[in-house]
Amino acid sequence: MTPPENAEQTSSTSRASRVLQLQGISKSFADNEVLKDISLNVDRGQVLCLIGPSGCGKSTLLRCINWLETPDAGRVILNGQRFGVHKSGAKMRDGDLARMRSRVAMVFQHFALWPHLSVIDNIMASPLHVQHRDRQEVREEAIALLEKVGLADKAEMFPSSLSGGQKQRVGIARALAMKPELLLFDEPTSALDPMLVGEVLGVIRDLADEGATMVIVTHEMEFARQVASQVIFMSDGHIAEAGPPEEFFAAPKSDKAKQFLARFHQHLKARSAPAVER
Amino acid sequence: MNAYDYWSIFQGSFTTVGVSLAGVLVGLPLGLCLALLRWAQMPVSRQIAYLYVSIIRSCPAVTLVMLIYFGSPQIGVSLSPLVAAMITMAVTASAFSSEIWRSSLLAFDRQQYDAALAFGMPRFTRVWRIVLPQIWRSSLPGLINETTMLIKSSPAIAVIGMVEITRAAQRVGARTYDPLPPLMVGLALYVVIIFALVRLQRRLELSGNRLEPIQ
Amino acid sequence: MSYDDFILVWQQYPKILEAFGNTLMLIVISGSVSMMLGIFLTPMLMSRRKAISLSVSVYCESMRCMPFLLFVYMIYFGLPSAGIQLSNWTTGIVALILYNAAYMAIFLRGAWQDIPKETIEAGRAYGFYGFKLFRRVIMPLMLMRAIPMVGNQWVQIVKDSAFLGIIAVTELTAAMNSIQSTNFIPFASFLSAVLLYWLISLVIELVTSLFTRYAQVRRT
Repeated sequence: MTPPENAEQTSSTSRASRVLQLQGISKSFADNEVLKDISLNVDRGQVLCLIGPSGCGKSTLLRCINWLETPDAGRVILNGQRFGVHKSGAKMRDGDLARMRSRVAMVFQHFALWPHLSVIDNIMASPLHVQHRDRQEVREEAIALLEKVGLADKAEMFPSSLSGGQKQRVGIARALAMKPELLLFDEPTSALDPMLVGEVLGVIRDLADEGATMVIVTHEMEFARQVASQVIFMSDGHIAEAGPPEEFFAAPKSDKAKQFLARFHQHLKARSAPAVER
Repeated sequence: MNAYDYWSIFQGSFTTVGVSLAGVLVGLPLGLCLALLRWAQMPVSRQIAYLYVSIIRSCPAVTLVMLIYFGSPQIGVSLSPLVAAMITMAVTASAFSSEIWRSSLLAFDRQQYDAALAFGMPRFTRVWRIVLPQIWRSSLPGLINETTMLIKSSPAIAVIGMVEITRAAQRVGARTYDPLPPLMVGLALYVVIIFALVRLQRRLELSGNRLEPIQ
Repeated sequence: MSYDDFILVWQQYPKILEAFGNTLMLIVISGSVSMMLGIFLTPMLMSRRKAISLSVSVYCESMRCMPFLLFVYMIYFGLPSAGIQLSNWTTGIVALILYNAAYMAIFLRGAWQDIPKETIEAGRAYGFYGFKLFRRVIMPLMLMRAIPMVGNQWVQIVKDSAFLGIIAVTELTAAMNSIQSTNFIPFASFLSAVLLYWLISLVIELVTSLFTRYAQVRRT
């Protein structure tokens, strides 16, 4: 894929399938410029993997997509609609912002399940109370999603009695229950025991096979190589390199990417990579 | 309100601080003993200590002071209101502080104590030199908090005739038919006392930290 | 002092029962209302609008600085000069509610701040905001964290209720005082009162532990 474009798409067919557009996103925390003029696109069915060393801004970028962080400059466009700002230029208020956010579902690094709700209530909470869907319908879907992620028997249990991998699978089911236009994953396996990483990556991989549109921030290089349709390597707050995984992993062009991958391959030799379960 | 009124309310603060201070000076060490009794898991005294703490912690200050003052003649002891008030404060302080001491003791690393035991340190020295300095630091905020609450329960001693700040303020108000100003003066005095306690806590915390060269 | 004294005390049981009932009523009413008021005040304490958070904060901190009896006197003796004359019962309940709501709000705020940020952020990310976010995510977690402190505050209310006898509310201690002064049995009377207060606080402890058990599995 060619380097990111800055202008909005003119072709109507491309516009219809362009789920996410980031244009010129910049963000600073105090004096620290964390994101510098980032632009990228994600089409329907694509999986974008954001990788890079710690502190390069990839998590912040992800959180700008659903406006959990407000960019200092730039636009986030979800299926043609601008995030956080109305067409008139007025800032979006809480209600409209929440409505937009419910079209994008996020999976958190530390799971962020609601501990006071049972597993199935966690999954049903937002569809019921934010999207105001029918309870019976939501419940049936929730059970189906739990079966899909392999946790149907845990429906009435509470998050405190689940393992990390199970919690994250519930987190994914909770995300899917929103029927989102876009799925965001913030280092979904970073907080897991190595033994449990595989079960979660397997679920994400299945989603990719089914054509979900996803942006994944991850450290799991092998996984990214297998699942991504596009890889973006970030360094120091900007995009150092972007391209399909075959190109990027086999023959990185930029020096920073080369350094990063070299370190990763060294690290691989030190321990064996987790197997992605099928 | 004239100068004498201000002075009489201010005099009340001597009673408030004096009685509370006496209560704290006696009650805190007593509470420590109670906590140690329970920590050391001594059989019968542990249960009695628990019962004592549980009952006193749920007992209103008013009821306790009346029990001690009016009830003591029946067991043969005649107490002045001042002494009865001080005893009440001491009893209250002992029960509350014992809980604070106890949670510090429970958090205390028992290994250090066992090490002292292994070195043949006699029991009293063990407690005094090893356990106490460390739980003192962690107990301090809780103890100051309990002292503040003790001060706030001190108006109860007025029912046995002790004129502390609140009673003094109320009397001035009853005399001048203008109750609010003396009550505000009383409030100001309490605020000063409580602020002083908080400052004391900070000073004690800092001086404690200076004694710790290695973290 | 002997067992006869205790029998004498309890022969007055209609009086004791009435006073005990009054005390219970004071505790239950003021405990529940002050808790609700506390839940209402806490979001104001956390509000980003300085005017709101500052004024509520001033109210809460001033309650923390003053003895309960002083506050009662301010309402009972002080308000009439502003034209508001409350009966001693009304003063008692209002004072208990306002005084303890401040304490509740302060530690509920602490419990709120203890909630892991990611949990609340997930609520935002999934479209919860404003009152909905408070009701469905923050409030349940805040309340469950605060259960021991709430229980403690209820015990505090029990103890503060005894001060109301000074403004002639017929609660337990005042009733026992009148019994003992007419029958010359102070020790038995007041000891009975102490044991009754102890009983109430044991019940509160029991209820608190039940709620704690409920919250156990629902914690982070």
